Amino acid sequence: MAFWRRFCRNRSAVIGLVILCLVILIAISASWLYPEDPFKLVGRAMSPPGENGFLFGSDTLGRDVAAGMAHGARVSLLIGLLATSVAVTLGVVLGALAGYFGGWIDDVLMRLTEMFQTIPSFIFAILIVAIMKPSINSVVLAIAVVSWPAVARLVRGEFMSMRNREFVQACHIIGMSDWRIMIREILPNCLSPIIVTGSLMVATAILIESGLAFLGLGDPNIISWGFQIGAGRTVLRSAWWVCTFPGIAIMLTVLAINLVGEGLNDALNPRLRERT
Amino acid sequence: MSQAAQRSRYVLKRLLQAVPVVVAIVVVNFFLLQLAEGDAVDVLAGEAGSATPEYMAQLREKFGLDKPLLVQLGVYMKNMLTFDLGYSFRHDMPVAQLVLDRLMPTLLLMVSTITLAVGFGIVLGLIAASNLNKWRDNIISVFALVSYATPLFWVGLMMIVVFSLKLRWFPTSGMENVAMFYEGWDRVKDIAHHLVMPTLTLSLFYLALYTRLMRASMLEQASMDYVTTARAKGLTERRIVFVHILRNALLPVVTMAGVQVGSLIGGSVIVESVFAWPGLGMLAFEALFSRDLNLLLGIFLLSALLVVAINLVVDLLYSFLDPRIEVG
Amino acid sequence: MVRCTLKSLTSESLVKKLCTAALAVVAVAVSSQAISQSAGGTMVMIAQPEPPSLAPYLSTSGPIGLVAPKIYNGLLDYDLDLNPVPELAQSWEVSDDGLTVTFKLQEGVTWHDGEPFTSADVQFTIMEVLKQFHPRGPNSFREVSSIDTPDDTTAIFNLDNPAPYMMRALSAYESPIVPKHLLEGKDIREAELSGKPVGTGPFKFVEWKKGQYIRLDKNEDYWKEGLPLLDRIVARIIPDASTRTAAMESGEVHYGAFGAIPNIDVVRLRDLDDIGVTTDGYAMINPMALIEFDTTRAPFDNKALRQAISMSVDRQFLIDNIWFGYGKPATSAMTSNYEPLGLYKATENYPAAPDVEAANALLDEAGLEADADGVRATATIDLIPYGEDWRRLGEYMKQAMADIGVKLELRYEDVPTWLKRVYADYDFELNVNYFYQLPDPVIGVQRHYGTDQIRQGTPFVNSARYSNPQVDELLASGAMEVDAARRGEIYAELQDILAEDLPVVNLFEMEFLTVFNQKLKDHTVSAMGAYGSFDRAWIDD
Repeated sequence: MAFWRRFCRNRSAVIGLVILCLVILIAISASWLYPEDPFKLVGRAMSPPGENGFLFGSDTLGRDVAAGMAHGARVSLLIGLLATSVAVTLGVVLGALAGYFGGWIDDVLMRLTEMFQTIPSFIFAILIVAIMKPSINSVVLAIAVVSWPAVARLVRGEFMSMRNREFVQACHIIGMSDWRIMIREILPNCLSPIIVTGSLMVATAILIESGLAFLGLGDPNIISWGFQIGAGRTVLRSAWWVCTFPGIAIMLTVLAINLVGEGLNDALNPRLRERT
Repeated sequence: MSQAAQRSRYVLKRLLQAVPVVVAIVVVNFFLLQLAEGDAVDVLAGEAGSATPEYMAQLREKFGLDKPLLVQLGVYMKNMLTFDLGYSFRHDMPVAQLVLDRLMPTLLLMVSTITLAVGFGIVLGLIAASNLNKWRDNIISVFALVSYATPLFWVGLMMIVVFSLKLRWFPTSGMENVAMFYEGWDRVKDIAHHLVMPTLTLSLFYLALYTRLMRASMLEQASMDYVTTARAKGLTERRIVFVHILRNALLPVVTMAGVQVGSLIGGSVIVESVFAWPGLGMLAFEALFSRDLNLLLGIFLLSALLVVAINLVVDLLYSFLDPRIEVG
Repeated sequence: MVRCTLKSLTSESLVKKLCTAALAVVAVAVSSQAISQSAGGTMVMIAQPEPPSLAPYLSTSGPIGLVAPKIYNGLLDYDLDLNPVPELAQSWEVSDDGLTVTFKLQEGVTWHDGEPFTSADVQFTIMEVLKQFHPRGPNSFREVSSIDTPDDTTAIFNLDNPAPYMMRALSAYESPIVPKHLLEGKDIREAELSGKPVGTGPFKFVEWKKGQYIRLDKNEDYWKEGLPLLDRIVARIIPDASTRTAAMESGEVHYGAFGAIPNIDVVRLRDLDDIGVTTDGYAMINPMALIEFDTTRAPFDNKALRQAISMSVDRQFLIDNIWFGYGKPATSAMTSNYEPLGLYKATENYPAAPDVEAANALLDEAGLEADADGVRATATIDLIPYGEDWRRLGEYMKQAMADIGVKLELRYEDVPTWLKRVYADYDFELNVNYFYQLPDPVIGVQRHYGTDQIRQGTPFVNSARYSNPQVDELLASGAMEVDAARRGEIYAELQDILAEDLPVVNLFEMEFLTVFNQKLKDHTVSAMGAYGSFDRAWIDD
């Protein structure tokens, strides 16, 4: 509860949390709010917001932008969460191994990390999507592949500084296995920077997805905010609402996640008020 | 051992370490691209409208695409040793020439972007840190986050609508005025004029990062012992902030900028696309979709080399800025 | 000065024809009187995407066609009514049996490098270059067995069989005349000419800055007296469609053709005073949006299913909502633009309005029962990866076909993957695409339906793997028939068979748009449109 109080001390983090909860709520209740397939052509094409029963207007084919946004929230958040989970898992495992064991393992894994950091990341993401063909899976994988090195470096650093601490030495002495030490003893002690980095990564993942969709590399069968933006950008000058509302949704969500991330940071690291 | 000798040994060590990384990048990407369906010949034939199977076979032979994979890779690696990046299938010219042509515009955009983002980031971060949790701090934080969270292409397009179409201050796109073909100083001015909007758009995205980094870094330094000491010595607050804290707070920002310049060499596909800026990002994008293997590998290789070089320079610079940090 | 733009008149074809006629009159009036024309100035046009090379003798790639005809000449040009007019050939004569065609060439023509142009260049171009290496050349010139050159300005084509369609394939875009002295004895595909073109045309190649622009300067020694009027043409490469529109609005570019400006933006731009829009200049292209089926596999080996799809597609909806009013519903396997040639016939299975009920009845009758979810068949539809419009079309198809119990899944891959899937691996079920039907069915339609056009690995041919001996016979006799009326009957019969079998369902005749700055005059003066030479174009400042 002390954590919760510390979190609430940061007012903007609370605002962020409220927005985020709202987005999640909409995502969960999308099927109930808009039971129809969001791809369905339901009315007059290119209706401005508020007209013909469309809250946020309709697109060129007469699909409801608001319905798309509600269903898209689900997909965009899912992509963000999935990609981040994959990236964090990969980054934690590799970073932990490198930091804990050091030596040649560290050398090999760090060269690997460097390699991924040296390739221009957005181009690399495009490459992966193009090879695997645009689908939710390939987009998630592409985002994860370009995101994990940052986590790996962070975790490696934490593990390196922890492995010589007294409590770890003590564990060695009582004959604890390396695995047990890594998972049960060290990992819990470096969770907070991982959580903070991870939360920001969700936001970045949502942005990367919209960037890929801008270039026409989204899953054509599934509606996401990125899809809506990609589809609406060509009509931006004539029907601004088609891509502006999903754009605002992305902006608000990314903003909210960042604020929550900062709040988590403050709450988890009471001594360091800021950390990036 | 003298410092200079130590430094050059360090440089050498770092360069040697980079070799396997660069080679791995080439090999991994070579095989990744093989996983993609279709090859350059399919694209060329598709673009041409129609082609006979014989012609397509001939093209594959010409490009060496008919050889076994390992042979193709071997040939590429062998050529790489002599700094020969091969021939672009689609553009029908040497990869090195194509890539170097695009390097200048890319560097121009990236360096100006980083300079602007770092410059404003430092100023905004400084203001935010010295007004901690007051309205200035809050406004700066929200501004930085909003500019980060707004999709780049949207910002770019709005810039065009407002500054090119409505106000007529800047050209919409391109790198120079192709109706005039200016020369000498006029050309420099013309290119600078074209550079403004892409730079602004891209730097908005990076501004958030530097602002937050600078703010955090300032706050961290402010809690250090030497600040207390300085205060005890009776230095003015102004002097403490600008002479002592600022200098130390800049270090992480400089490091980050170095890393970013490196990763930005790959260009920004979206900004280059919106402003028709002839950078490496678009070239790589097009190379991928025309399965121009040599060209794409050439771009990856070049950007890898530049990242390695720039990281090295940043580390050296770091050790100059802060003598406590030793190289090696 | 008569101004002719198609502001908001586009759907009324009568007005359009009047407009076309008016434009032709304007063109003639201007070139004969030359009152208000002024020489000089730079025209900036959009080339999108960047051309792969500048070798129109090797590739028919669209962006090459935009640039190369300014540099190279053809033997003929075509007026807006598709009648041949002199270009490098000042006159021509077809023998009564149709087996010899004699071209009298212009005198005093030189290549941009100063070498004289002669009949040897024509002979070399047709026999050694186009017939061997051009994607469509082997087809266009298949009956040409030899070319005689009795003197420097006469070229006599000897044909094995009459080839009336050949006379429509002699433009600078389709069959550019190239310099023998720069290609002879070299590997034609490897020659430097492909990146540094040397022609006889009104503009000389100067520089190609990859990713930025191609610069052409006025040919001071052009063989047409007093032409060209422009000092320079620059083709700019602008990848993003919205930016192209903005550049057009700001006046930075003067000319964008072949959909360089998206239709949605055209709807907005055509109301601006300084911007004009025309659909003229595409009569030689005749693009057709369509769906190809793999007719060898279930479920689309069943022609009832193909017919049902054709019957239930709302073609007008596609035109109105995705192409913003530009286009015409397809009514046959062949474009209605063949009508002046007497080769077009409206056929069944192309209803004016979608008839979902009839389609469902047809499927019931054919024994394609719907399951509990109302699904009769499931399939994956591939979409041509040439932009957002085609994705929208796919999304529409997915929704609309659900009404007849066909459940579609969309697949949108990149160009090489898609080409390989459809044309090399035949690993598709139905595929959205568009084809150029070109000025004659022999060049544009035959490749779609002939058994000999089942050419695995070659893009844009008979990927439906449709084979019908009756169709093959009609295609063969139609190609050689000299008598126009008889030719019309052959193609009418062909269209009826294709409407019944529907290996390909045509969706609509696309209308490409040319958007231009009103300052630019006389740009669309021939049937070649954007693929024209622009030697008479000028800028009114």
